[in-house]
Amino acid sequence: MLSVADNEKLTRVGPGTPLGNLMRRYWQPVLLSREVADNDGDPIRVRILSEDLVAFRDTSGRVGLISEWCPHRLTSLFLGRNEENGLRCVYHGWKFDVLGDCVDMPNEPEEFDFKHKVKMVAYPTEEIGGVIWAYMGPPELKPALPKFEFTQQPETHRGASKVIEECNWLQGLEGGIDSIHSSFLHRKIGEGKGIGLDGLRKEGLAGKLDVEPTDYGYRYTNSRGLPSKGQNYVRGYHFVMPHIQIRAAQLNNNGSWYKFKVAGHHWVPIDDNTTMVWNWFYSLDEALTEGEKNEEVSGNGPAFVDPVTFRAAVNPRNDWLIDRDMQRNENFTGIQGVNAQDRAVQEAMGPIVNRSKEHLGQTDRAVIMTRRMLLRAIDTVADGGTPPGLGESYYSARAIEDVLPDEEFGLEALAERMFVGGR
Amino acid sequence: MLSVSDNDKVTRVGPGTPMGNLMRRYWQPVLLSREVAEPDGDPIRVRILGENLVAFRDTSGRVGMISEWCPHRLTSLFLGRNEENGLRCVYHGWKFDVSGACVDMPNEPEAFDFKHKVNMVAYPTLDMGGVIWVYMGPPEFQPPAPAFEFTQQPETHRGASKVIEECNWLQALEGGLDSVHSSFLHRKLAAGDGLGFDGLRADATAGRLDVETEDYGYRYAAHRPIPGREENYVRSYHFVMPHVQIRAAQLNNDGSWFKFKIAGHHWVPIDDHSTLVWNWFYSLDEPLTQDEKEERGFGNGPNEVDQRTFRALGNVRNDWQIDRAKQRTASFTGIDGVNAQDRAVQESMGSIVNRSYEHLGQTDKAIITMRKMLMNAVAVVQDGGVPPGASDTYYHLRGIEEVLPQDAAGLDVLADKMFARIA
Repeated sequence: MLSVADNEKLTRVGPGTPLGNLMRRYWQPVLLSREVADNDGDPIRVRILSEDLVAFRDTSGRVGLISEWCPHRLTSLFLGRNEENGLRCVYHGWKFDVLGDCVDMPNEPEEFDFKHKVKMVAYPTEEIGGVIWAYMGPPELKPALPKFEFTQQPETHRGASKVIEECNWLQGLEGGIDSIHSSFLHRKIGEGKGIGLDGLRKEGLAGKLDVEPTDYGYRYTNSRGLPSKGQNYVRGYHFVMPHIQIRAAQLNNNGSWYKFKVAGHHWVPIDDNTTMVWNWFYSLDEALTEGEKNEEVSGNGPAFVDPVTFRAAVNPRNDWLIDRDMQRNENFTGIQGVNAQDRAVQEAMGPIVNRSKEHLGQTDRAVIMTRRMLLRAIDTVADGGTPPGLGESYYSARAIEDVLPDEEFGLEALAERMFVGGR
Repeated sequence: MLSVSDNDKVTRVGPGTPMGNLMRRYWQPVLLSREVAEPDGDPIRVRILGENLVAFRDTSGRVGMISEWCPHRLTSLFLGRNEENGLRCVYHGWKFDVSGACVDMPNEPEAFDFKHKVNMVAYPTLDMGGVIWVYMGPPEFQPPAPAFEFTQQPETHRGASKVIEECNWLQALEGGLDSVHSSFLHRKLAAGDGLGFDGLRADATAGRLDVETEDYGYRYAAHRPIPGREENYVRSYHFVMPHVQIRAAQLNNDGSWFKFKIAGHHWVPIDDHSTLVWNWFYSLDEPLTQDEKEERGFGNGPNEVDQRTFRALGNVRNDWQIDRAKQRTASFTGIDGVNAQDRAVQESMGSIVNRSYEHLGQTDKAIITMRKMLMNAVAVVQDGGVPPGASDTYYHLRGIEEVLPQDAAGLDVLADKMFARIA
């Protein structure tokens, strides 16, 4: 439960808001590299943290991320011409480079030198791991590069996608760090592809959650007792500030070894009511298959999400295409795709859920911990300090799952393996 | 005319508002029985009086009406699974019965006994006359069952439908109590189906209105002098608190006998800006024809209203499909369907009309009386009393119409027929 005031504080992300200031201290993923693949290619609209920006790759290959609105008469630079190291507004021909400098102003007499008096918003970008990242905070506080382990893998061994979720970012994040829901929401009842998960998750319902704060966020394990085996199904996760989940994807549903795969999400606020969900995954041994790259099971791939607009085919306007017969016979929700199921329950809460009305139990401890950590980090930033997760300590974080003997459970059981090179 | 503050008081219906408290003292029709026909069938969203609910028929055949939001993390129970006498949330498996009790909480350890500590909004329901009714007020004030005469007829002799009107409920109710508008708004200028009325109503326009207060609301009669005849066309109505109209449907447009048919509306507030209009009708002699059941000519049937969403095809977004050529030659409005014409003029006022700007005449007496009655009832409820219409005195009311001698006072002459003989 949160007070109405704290709920506001944790959900509003626009410029100058407390959380908006916190969010702006981190590198944010904004585009797939393929969206701005070509030099002088088409400019792309980017809305993030309630700011409207436009991205373009210039003639030299640099990726610019500048205000969408031409400072002259405020039309959209999405309409602009990407030419010779700058984006030119189609209204009166003003041209801006990736730094936001006005480099040409052909409609004004040269002698007024107006172009040097005009400035516009421009944010630094980095291209790492097939993703374009932006930093929107104070230049002097720019953190270390966002070298999550997935960004360091060869292309054959990693994948990333994104999809718009039509609700506040925190609803997305809270679903992602809430391990136990997957025994219910994602439960598979019948046979068939893409309808959910069965096996261990289905057997181990009530879980025991252990949470340990770290300097980047926290790590936690959820241990599900498996009565038929006298064992524990233990899943280890990381939460990295401000909105990142890293989870394990190594076992088949029946507990047998699949491959050394790790996955995660970034829930990047587009604005207060919309979120860009990033889905990424990588393998540390075998290469990823085509089916894995297309995320056939998760509901994020090209079969589910428009690859240009990143809108989901399954959304609140069509009741997530819920199929009540499927819900009776095949899976828990009647909705296809594991992450589509996540979006459905999160979007169904409405754009910003009123957390003063909820009832949290002991399996919601990770959710509670996240909120505390975020509130504290907001205060830290407001006081001029450095919030957690700006260093490099998360570079080595990886998530692990295992089926362990009855007496082994919780954080200690997986501690060594949850960091590259041990703890 | 109403002051701005009184206008606010009589139009706003959310929880805790003065009018909301009054509305919650009556049974409200919310669903057609066919919408929750099957035990363990699909759950249905219900929005009423600004509250989001979900309805389901459980395994035992009881109809539950509970909060749409699971009290745990507030996702929508519309996505829920209707199974074994309860609705189960798909997020973490919490299950609720029709009384709102949490009967299963599989994600939390049994030892915490959290499920007995969680409660959720649940309202009692009744299935009567092909309609599901809900009572949302204080349990100790629950009134007797809403046994309007239509609910007591065999299925062959009654019908009911509903349609969403996109404005505040009071605009709709006021249209329904305003007898004389039908001489204008619904006037038919040429032959054809669904255009409106001709004959007595079109001939007799300026009317005299008599209103008599009753313990359930009031009854009233509109007298229209018939040009060239020493007679009045007299239509009598009942207004039953808080938003019910009962009217006559016995005569053909030329004044000849049709059948012993009575009709009415409930204008149930969905929220401050939209209304669920109920249309019901019944015959006390011959059964209803298929055309009557589909409300041919009224704009409420399956050809004019989506029978799953109850959205009207002619609506505010398409200018009610007004046909200007038809308006010149065939009907007063150029809009097809008598009740579609009503919705057009009421919706076109905007979602809540500012009544401090209006100018009321003597034919608006029924409206003025109704507003006073509502304001009084609001005050009665505030003072802890019982408002009018919360007992069983309206059970036997009928609307009657007749052609009477010019000196006859309709309310006196028709008095006996307007109250059914109680066997």
